Amino acid sequence: MMWLSGGFVFRRGESAYHQLDPRVKLLISILMFATTLLAKAVYEMGLVIAFMLAVATVATVLRRVARTMLLTATFSAFIFIVNILVTKNLETSSLYATRFVAIVVSTSLFFITTSPDELEQVMKTFRLPRDVVFAFVTAVRFIPVMMLDTVQIMDAQKSRGLELDKGNVFRRVRNMIPILIPLVVNSVIRSGELAEAMESRAYGAVPKPTSLVEYRASTRDRLVVLASIAFFVVVAYSFYFVPPLQLP
Amino acid sequence: MIRFEDVVFVHQNGVRALDGVSLDIPDGETVAIVGENGAGKTTLVKHVTGLLKPREGRVLVDGVDTTSVSTARLSRKVGVAFQNPDHQLFSESVREEVAFALRNFQFPEDMIEKRVKLELGQFGLAEYERSSPLVLSGGEKKRLTLACILAWDPGIVILDEPTVGQDAIQKEKLSETIRMLRSQGKTVIVVSHDIEFLWPLQPRTIVMKSGKVVGDGPAKECMLDSEVLRSARVAQPQLVSFYRHLSERPADPFVDPLDAKRWLSGGRAG
Repeated sequence: MMWLSGGFVFRRGESAYHQLDPRVKLLISILMFATTLLAKAVYEMGLVIAFMLAVATVATVLRRVARTMLLTATFSAFIFIVNILVTKNLETSSLYATRFVAIVVSTSLFFITTSPDELEQVMKTFRLPRDVVFAFVTAVRFIPVMMLDTVQIMDAQKSRGLELDKGNVFRRVRNMIPILIPLVVNSVIRSGELAEAMESRAYGAVPKPTSLVEYRASTRDRLVVLASIAFFVVVAYSFYFVPPLQLP
Repeated sequence: MIRFEDVVFVHQNGVRALDGVSLDIPDGETVAIVGENGAGKTTLVKHVTGLLKPREGRVLVDGVDTTSVSTARLSRKVGVAFQNPDHQLFSESVREEVAFALRNFQFPEDMIEKRVKLELGQFGLAEYERSSPLVLSGGEKKRLTLACILAWDPGIVILDEPTVGQDAIQKEKLSETIRMLRSQGKTVIVVSHDIEFLWPLQPRTIVMKSGKVVGDGPAKECMLDSEVLRSARVAQPQLVSFYRHLSERPADPFVDPLDAKRWLSGGRAG
C-alpha cells in the first residue's frame, strides 16, 4: 500500500511540466491513457511507456515514476500469469501486463505533478458539484496523512508483540485487523472533525463562493495542447491503421 | 542497559533526525527527554524498540543490537506507550485490549486474567472492563494504553508525551505510577514537553536539539541551565525560574504571588 504514497502523492516541483496549466496536464495524461488502449502490440506499448518516461524526465519525477513501475510489476506479473493460463497466448498476456503498468504511469504522472488545489480547479472547470469536488480533493489530500497513520499504527502494534510477517496467509490477513480498525476509526474521527472545522468556517454558507485562483491558459499551454493532440493523432493513426510489425 | 553508540538516523526526506548520539542509560534509571518539536526525541526512543534502525552507529538493549532482532521480540523487554492512543486501540473490549499483547507473548490464560484485572484496577478502568475502548474519553484511553504496556511487565518503559489530555489529578497519578516503576527497578524513559510534570520526579534529563544531545545530567543541574534550555526551546520549571529571579533581587520584598509578574519585570508591587 505504501507504494501508492510515492506514486500518487503530489510533491512541489519547479519543472516546466509542473508549471503547465493543470488542465493541460490532465489532457496529456488522458491522451497517454487513450494511447495505451490503442496499442495492439507489445513493442507499441513499449514505445508508449518510453514516451511516458521521457515526460517524467522533463517533469523531473523519473525516479518516483520508475519506483512506481517497479512496484506495479507485482500486479502486472499477476495479470500476466492469469492471462497466460487463460489465453495461452504470450503476446496478448504480455500486452495486458504492460498495459497495466502504462495505465498506472499515465495516471501517476498527473497526480504527482498536480497539487490538490490545482486538481480542485480542474474539477470545477468540468462544473462538477462542489461537494463532490471537495470530497474527492480531500480524499487525495489525506492520502499522505493516512499513510503516516498506517505507519504509526503498525509501530504501535509491533511494539505490543504483533508480528505482521509471521505465519500463513490466513494468519497474516488476521494480523491486519489491529492495523485496519484503528485506521478506519481514525479516519472517521478525522472526517467528523474536518466537517465541524469546515462548517465553523462557513463552508456551504453561500451556494457559489468566489475562487482565489482563476486559471488562464498561456501561449505555452496552448502550444503544448496543440502539440499533444497532433502527436496523439499521429500515434493513434499509426497504431490503428498501420499493421503491427511481425516479429520473426 | 541501553547504549547508543554514535547513532545517526536520516529520514527519507533527508532530515538528519539523530546526529551522532552517544549515551548510556543504566538499568533502573528514570530519564526525561526534552527538546523542541522535531528535535529527535521520538526518533531516539523508536530506536530503543527497534522500530527505527540507525543508518550509522548502533543501539544495544541489554547487549542486543536492535538491528539483529524484530521489534516484536524487543517489545518483550521494552514497552512503549505512544503519544496517540487512537493509534493502537482496536479490540472489542477494554479487557481484550489489555490482553492483546499478553496473548502475543503467549502468556497462559490464568496469568492473563490476573494481569488484566490488576492493571485495570491500578488505572481506574475496572468499571469499563467490558466497554469498547473506542468510547472512552481521551484521558481514559491514555491510561488504557499505559495499562496495556505494564500488563506484560517490561523492564524498560517508554512514555511518549504521557500527560497530553490528562487533568491535574491524573497527572499526579501518573507521577505516582512512574515512582512505583522506579521503585520496582524499571528503566523509565519519559518524552515530554511538560517540564512542570517532570521537575518533581527529578529524572536524569537529556536535552535534545536538531538531533543532537545538548544537555545531559540530573534534573537539578540540567533544568537550572537556562541557556541550554532556551537554545532547545524548553521552558524552565516555574519554581526554578522564580527562585532564580528571587536570588537576583534579594533586597526586594516578597509580594502577592498574583502580582509576581510585575515584580519579576522589575516594577514594585503597589
